[in-house]
Amino acid sequence: MNRIAATIIATAVAATVSAAPAGKGKLRRAAAAAAIAKPAAPQTPAATPQAQSSAAVDVSSPWHTWSDSSGRKIEAAFCALQGNLCTVQTKDGLTYRLNLEALVLENRIFARAYAAKLNENRFKDAYVKQAAFQIDHLIGSTLVAKGLKFNTAANDEQFVRRLYLDTIGRVPTAAEASAFLKDTTPDKRAKLIDALLDSPGYAMHMYNWLADTFRVKDEIGRGAKAYLFQDWLKDQLAADRPWDAMVREMLTADGKLCENGAAGFLLRDAQMPLDGVSNLLTTFLGANVGCAQCHDHPLAQWTQRDFYQMAAFFGATDGYDQAAYSRSRKLAKSDSAGLNRQQVQSIAGVNVFRLIDTPKQDLTFPKDYKYDDAKPGSHVAPQLISWSSTDTKLPIYKVNTANPPQLRDEFARWMTSPQNPRFATNIANRMWKKVFGLAVQEPVGDIDDTTKASNPQLLAHITEIMKAAKFDLRQFQRVLLNSQTYQRASSLTPDLEKGPYLFPGPLLRRMTAEQTWDSILALTSGPEVDNALLRRGDEMQLLSLPGNAITAQNFKYVIDRAKDAGLEMGGYGGGKKGKGPNPRKLMAAYEGTKPQQRNGLLLARASELPQPAPESHFLRLFGQSDRLVADSNTTDGSVPQALMMMNGPIGQLIADSNSTAVVAAASAKGRDEQIDSLYLSFLARKPSITERSTAAKALESGLTVGDVAWTLLNSREFLFVQ
Amino acid sequence: MNLDILRDPLDRRSFVERCARTAFGLSIMPFFTGSAAAEPARGAGFGKAKRIIMIHLDGGLSHIDSFDPKEGASKGPGSAVSTKAGFQLTSFLPETAKIADKITVIRSMTAKVGVHESARYLMRTGFEKRGTIVHPVLGAWAQHYLGPSSKTLPSSVCVNQNSGHGNGFFPATYSPLPILDPDGGLANSKAPVADDKMTKRQQLLAQLDESFSKRVPDENVRAYNDFYDTTLQLMKSSDLQAFDLGAEKAELRDRYGRNRFGQGCLLARRLVESGVRFVEVHSGGWDMHKELEDAMEDRGGEFDRAFAALVADLDSRGMLDSTLVAVTTEFGRKPAFEGNGRGHHPLAFSTVLAGGGTKRGFVYGSSDAKGYKAAENPTSPGDFHATIAWAAGMPIEKEAMSGSGRPFTVGNKGKPALGVFA
Repeated sequence: MNRIAATIIATAVAATVSAAPAGKGKLRRAAAAAAIAKPAAPQTPAATPQAQSSAAVDVSSPWHTWSDSSGRKIEAAFCALQGNLCTVQTKDGLTYRLNLEALVLENRIFARAYAAKLNENRFKDAYVKQAAFQIDHLIGSTLVAKGLKFNTAANDEQFVRRLYLDTIGRVPTAAEASAFLKDTTPDKRAKLIDALLDSPGYAMHMYNWLADTFRVKDEIGRGAKAYLFQDWLKDQLAADRPWDAMVREMLTADGKLCENGAAGFLLRDAQMPLDGVSNLLTTFLGANVGCAQCHDHPLAQWTQRDFYQMAAFFGATDGYDQAAYSRSRKLAKSDSAGLNRQQVQSIAGVNVFRLIDTPKQDLTFPKDYKYDDAKPGSHVAPQLISWSSTDTKLPIYKVNTANPPQLRDEFARWMTSPQNPRFATNIANRMWKKVFGLAVQEPVGDIDDTTKASNPQLLAHITEIMKAAKFDLRQFQRVLLNSQTYQRASSLTPDLEKGPYLFPGPLLRRMTAEQTWDSILALTSGPEVDNALLRRGDEMQLLSLPGNAITAQNFKYVIDRAKDAGLEMGGYGGGKKGKGPNPRKLMAAYEGTKPQQRNGLLLARASELPQPAPESHFLRLFGQSDRLVADSNTTDGSVPQALMMMNGPIGQLIADSNSTAVVAAASAKGRDEQIDSLYLSFLARKPSITERSTAAKALESGLTVGDVAWTLLNSREFLFVQ
Repeated sequence: MNLDILRDPLDRRSFVERCARTAFGLSIMPFFTGSAAAEPARGAGFGKAKRIIMIHLDGGLSHIDSFDPKEGASKGPGSAVSTKAGFQLTSFLPETAKIADKITVIRSMTAKVGVHESARYLMRTGFEKRGTIVHPVLGAWAQHYLGPSSKTLPSSVCVNQNSGHGNGFFPATYSPLPILDPDGGLANSKAPVADDKMTKRQQLLAQLDESFSKRVPDENVRAYNDFYDTTLQLMKSSDLQAFDLGAEKAELRDRYGRNRFGQGCLLARRLVESGVRFVEVHSGGWDMHKELEDAMEDRGGEFDRAFAALVADLDSRGMLDSTLVAVTTEFGRKPAFEGNGRGHHPLAFSTVLAGGGTKRGFVYGSSDAKGYKAAENPTSPGDFHATIAWAAGMPIEKEAMSGSGRPFTVGNKGKPALGVFA
């Protein structure tokens, strides 16, 4: 299989890096990084400058020479613009994020014009209105049929807080909330939706969501680091890559973990390829095939034979070079080679995880296969699953299975097609859950029988929206967020044993671990936290073993090359297990703003921290998944959470006189204004008269503004999204 | 806390009642008032286990390479080693072999679920995973039937993993308290500001939060209210040092193994000693599809040392007869040794029980010659849970109602394996 043709948005795998002079990649990155001055905080949405004049600029090609005011230049293609962060990609495939404000005027005009050109593909406002109306209509009719009513409309205060959390993953700051609340234009909600979907926080929030589903981990076994995959995923989201294209690239990728970011998805399960197939069928098609891996599914239609026939599409794919790993382990142990064992291990890891296609597809039925439809141990021929008898008549079911190295391509084409019976429905249903708190059909990992959806017409409608959006997840969400259903007051947690939830409004939810952490960051450090981006993939490319030769000489060459480029060898292991990586090394990997370090905490957003965070980190206490099982973030309460909020560094940080929320409040004129400011920061609303007088009394009795901030942090209202 | 109070059933009963009355305002537990008339006759082992430590080997322990060695085609990289208890273990478990005369191995576990997440759920709750309801873990069941085990410490703790809604359909405060880092213990248990300031903060919090809780009467919001209340109780507890491994001798800490699992087991012993009834300790990395031999040496070695140290430690303290240590996993692994490892296999696997009234040096049930199917005394996950519940003195046939009124029993109507009890 050939690697999919590089698109301008794919992060690159510099195929040339292994042959490049020592440190070339790193140096080039350093030079460009110098052109990245501190990006400005995202503007409050009302004030976001829209594309200026696009008439005078030639936007026929994304290629452009980018220069900053001091004359430094790079030649690169435009990928995406989020706020003032412009993502570009050079010819060798490396991506850079440039601060627009540091660039010359002509560059700024070009970037805005090109972004506007890309926006022309967006849904027209009229379509959004009509599709959103249809959502409201389909829900309204099921509610009426059951004698139920919609929730009342959410007020602006509830709306602005919820929308910030659902789009950019954190609460609005006092200034951001206030700008929206004061705005009197009638379409301010629609405008805010558009502005937030275009902010840098959007990609961070989406990344957290996908990282839970994809089980994104820094380390995927044998000391191998999957940083390049993380960078790739972030770039896809920032550049708004359509879901189908993104998934197709992941499934058809070739190459090593240290070379090709997209390969990281399949390599995550390289040591357990059957589990990998099971995971991807559930993740991308909502097919409940897990049980069929070992036996016919007791309830669903899948047989073990079905499962193996699907897995056979990956039967000519090899993700893990066992022989190379064993050789490098021997090398690491041998004294005569004179190599540092840990360094060898780190390098070996990212080289032995590599996707290649073999000339033979050699999957066999298990030796203990117990059904009559195949012989134990016999060869499995690839065959696609179908959900109804008419499915197989679709053109996409015509796949060529004669050429083993092409099997994955064939499979990916079938799976990611809008014609696939479940691909669009699956992602639409999952996104619906993200926005409304519950899927139209639960659980999201089992949508084999779509008649079981809580509202089958609604599921069909959002599937059509997803197809109309050409799998642009931003456009899809735009429709959902503009529906009246989304903009209603939230419902209390329903008892699903009593019957399906019919969506009179979104559900009341506890913030996810990531939303809680990111919101606290905004309260302590301001919206600037959206601009600190962790990118650790570049240096991985330096670790690629030329020619894949497992020799002492080759390892020595790579170690020297990495050292020359300023890479701290031996530090990849990330220090003591469970304690997270070396902080100094981590800090060096941030682009844009460097995150603050206070009270022993690195104040970078959840997506820009080790994946997952170490066991005892705030994020894990609040339910961030350990990334071993898909979709396993939790929002349950616990004693350690309360202890962390009350007594831990987070509580102290919030109460500190330097925290953004406290600074904003302290600078307000009178006591009432100070309290108002804190309420806006934490809850995006004004306090009631009683609340204001209660807080005022507390301030008179010796508590400080910081103490009131601590109180609001510990309030239930802060933790829940209404 | 005085441990003796937990050793004598009558004293424990009055202790429980006292706790229930004073700390939680509950009436006397129904079981002790004789309402459990439908119970089977209390046989051997009933109620002997005052404390339970449940070890979960997440990923699927290969029974053939650990507690159920096989010869012939199924044989793995380890060799079978005879123990003084008369049964064999593999060479991957040298330390466990030394305490084999203190444990009961169940070799006839059998289930149908071979998918990690679902199997883990099944082995942790005794129920198959459903989309509409979450079932409680044994610690929560015990709290429901037997009341809280300590006035200030939690009744259940979950080490090395979040508790994953372990309360099930019981109140949120029945959920095990998660300790993700045993070395760190219970972090942040001391207020960072002076007492009077903390009191004022708490008062303000209670006042400002009231209107939200009234306005939004949601079960999850209520759960958080309860967690804050529990936390404030706990902060006042003098038993907090139970969470501090620093109080243990370095030599003992070494013996358990200086890793998360080993230290987790030691923490479990400290906790049950101080009044926590139920402690789960999790160990990850048992999904040995490849390089099983390396993994059994590394991960298996950690388990072997810690488990043997725990059983020996409890025994030397005279606590083993009243403390049940249960070792469980998601499923077994296939008899076929392929690709240097083994695939998932729920049809036959092994679990282990030690102490809490179980036999010393005993094998219960068997798998067939290949290790493919349970042969003698097949034991389901529900049976296994019912066995532990029985040992803990829970009324296994008494129904508890979920929020929407569905009846459930601990162990999902499983039959206790009475043969394991001495």
